[in-house]
Amino acid sequence: MVESFIEALAYPPIQRAVIACFLCGISCALLSVFVVLMKMPLIGVSMSHAAFAGAVLGLLINVDPFLSAFILCLIAAGILGPLSDKTDIAPENVLGIMFSFLMGVAFLGMGILTRTKAGALNLMWGSLLSLSSSYLLVLLVVTLVVVSFILLFFKEIRSVMFNRRLAASSGVPERFIYYALLFITGAVVSANLSTVGGMLIFSLLVQPGATALQLTYNLKHFFWVSAASGVGACLLGLVVSYLFDLPSGASVVLVATIIFAVAYIFSPKRRSKKMKGKVLIS
Amino acid sequence: MKQEVIGLNHITVRKAGSVLLDGISTVIYRNDFAGIIGPNGAGKTTLLNVIAGFEKFEGKLSLFGKQETWKRSRQTRLRIGYVPQLFSVDPTFPILTLEAVMTGVIGRVGLFRSPGEQEKRNAMRLMEMMRIAHLADRPLGQLSGGERQKVSLARAILQKPDVLLLDEPTANLDIAIQKDFLLLIDEIHKQEDLTLLYITHDFNLLPSTMRRAVMLNHGKIVFDGDIHAALTGDTLSRLFQYPLQTFERDGRRFISYG
Repeated sequence: MVESFIEALAYPPIQRAVIACFLCGISCALLSVFVVLMKMPLIGVSMSHAAFAGAVLGLLINVDPFLSAFILCLIAAGILGPLSDKTDIAPENVLGIMFSFLMGVAFLGMGILTRTKAGALNLMWGSLLSLSSSYLLVLLVVTLVVVSFILLFFKEIRSVMFNRRLAASSGVPERFIYYALLFITGAVVSANLSTVGGMLIFSLLVQPGATALQLTYNLKHFFWVSAASGVGACLLGLVVSYLFDLPSGASVVLVATIIFAVAYIFSPKRRSKKMKGKVLIS
Repeated sequence: MKQEVIGLNHITVRKAGSVLLDGISTVIYRNDFAGIIGPNGAGKTTLLNVIAGFEKFEGKLSLFGKQETWKRSRQTRLRIGYVPQLFSVDPTFPILTLEAVMTGVIGRVGLFRSPGEQEKRNAMRLMEMMRIAHLADRPLGQLSGGERQKVSLARAILQKPDVLLLDEPTANLDIAIQKDFLLLIDEIHKQEDLTLLYITHDFNLLPSTMRRAVMLNHGKIVFDGDIHAALTGDTLSRLFQYPLQTFERDGRRFISYG
C-alpha cells in the first residue's frame, strides 16, 4: 500500500500536495504555540471563519479567494484586537459575536452562490490534490514570514506570551507583537484554506501547540515539537487519505488528534505531577 | 530640594458611567515610599494603572518632569516598574524561573539584541537577594505563591526603574510569607534608589520604611501625609466607615478591628 503512495509521488499534483502539507504543518503549528499559550483559541476560530467568509465572498464577486480571505482576516484582526483589549467588554463575548457573524456571512455567501458551489466546498474542506504552483509560492512566503517573525522577536514573544501587561510595563512593544500575531494568523489561515480548509484549519491552530504543551518546559523546544507534530499530522494525514481514499482535510485533523492523545497519555509533565502527589502523600 | 517624580493634577477616570477617580491631585517625590491606602473600590488600582500607563484619564499627569498621556514611550515605561497582585500561572507553561525574571530586562535590551551575561548575572544576584536563586531552573508554574511574587519583584527591579508600583503584592499569601516579602521591600528601599508606591488595605502589614500615606475613598484623596498621622483610630474609622482603634507595640502602631 505504502509503495503505491511512493509511486504516486512521481506525479506533480501529489508532489505539490506533499509540499503544501509540509508548509501548512509548519505555519499552522508555529502559530498554534501562540494560540495555546496565550489561551486565544476563539481568536483562531474567528480568524479561520473570517478567511472562509472572505474566500466565499471572493468567489461571489470574482476576486481571488486568497486575496479576499486575507483582506477580511485583516479587517477581523483590526476589529478583534482593539475590542478584546477593552476591559469593559468580555473578550469571549466579542469573539463569540464575531465568530457567529462571520459564519453567517460565509453561509449566506454559499447560499447566494449558484454557479460554483464546489469551489466553496473546497475552501471549506480543502483540496490538496488540486493545488497550483503559484498557490505553493504564496504558502511558502507566508510560512517564511511566520518563521522570520519568531526568529526576530523570540524574546519579545516569550515576554508577551507570559503576560501581556507585564511585557508592556517593562517596555516591550507588546501591542506590536500582539497585532502582528493577529495579522500573521490571518495570512496563515487564508493561505491554508485550500490545504485543510476553513472549517478544519482551526484544529491545526490548536492541536500541535497542545501536543507540545504536554512534552516540554523549554519554549524553543516547544516551537520545534509543535512544528514536528504539525508537519507529522499533515504528511501522515495525506498518506492515510491517499491510501484509504478519505477526505484529506479530515484525515489530517484526525491524525493530529491521535498525536495529541498519545502525547497526553505519555506526558512527562503529567507523570511528574502524579509522582509529586505520591511523595506528598507518603 | 525635593525632586518631583510624579505629578497628578485633577486626574479623573470614568468608566461605564462610574467615576473611578474624581479629580486626584498630589505630588510624589524622589525616594518617597508612599502607601496608597483605602477600602475596596476606593480607586487604588485605577490610580496605579493611570501612573503605569494602563488606563485612559482626564487631567494632567507629569512623569519625571514631562507631561504624559496614557500612551507611553518605551523610555518612560522603562522607568516605571510594576509588581501586580499574585496571578495564576499554568503549571505546564514553558517558562523557567530565571527566564521569567529575565523578561524584566527585555524592553531595556531593545529589539534584535539578546540579554548578555551581565544581565544574567544581575538577575541571579537579585534572585539570591530574594532567596529564590535555587529555583532558577524550575518551571515558574510549579513555584508557590510567595516564590512567584518574589520572581515578580526581581523581574521588576531587574528593569532598573526609577519608580516601583506594587499592587497589593502580598494579597493571598500566608502571613509568614507576607512578613518575609515586606522585609524584602524594606531592604530594596534601603539599597536601591527607588520611589515606591505600595497599594494595601492591611495596616498591620505595612513595610517599616513606608513614610507616607495617600488615603483614597470613593475616588478622592481623603488624607495625604505622614503614615503615623494616618494610622489613628479616627482617620481609619472615617475611611472604612467601621469602628477601628490603634495601639502601639515595640514602637510600631497596629490596628484593632475589635
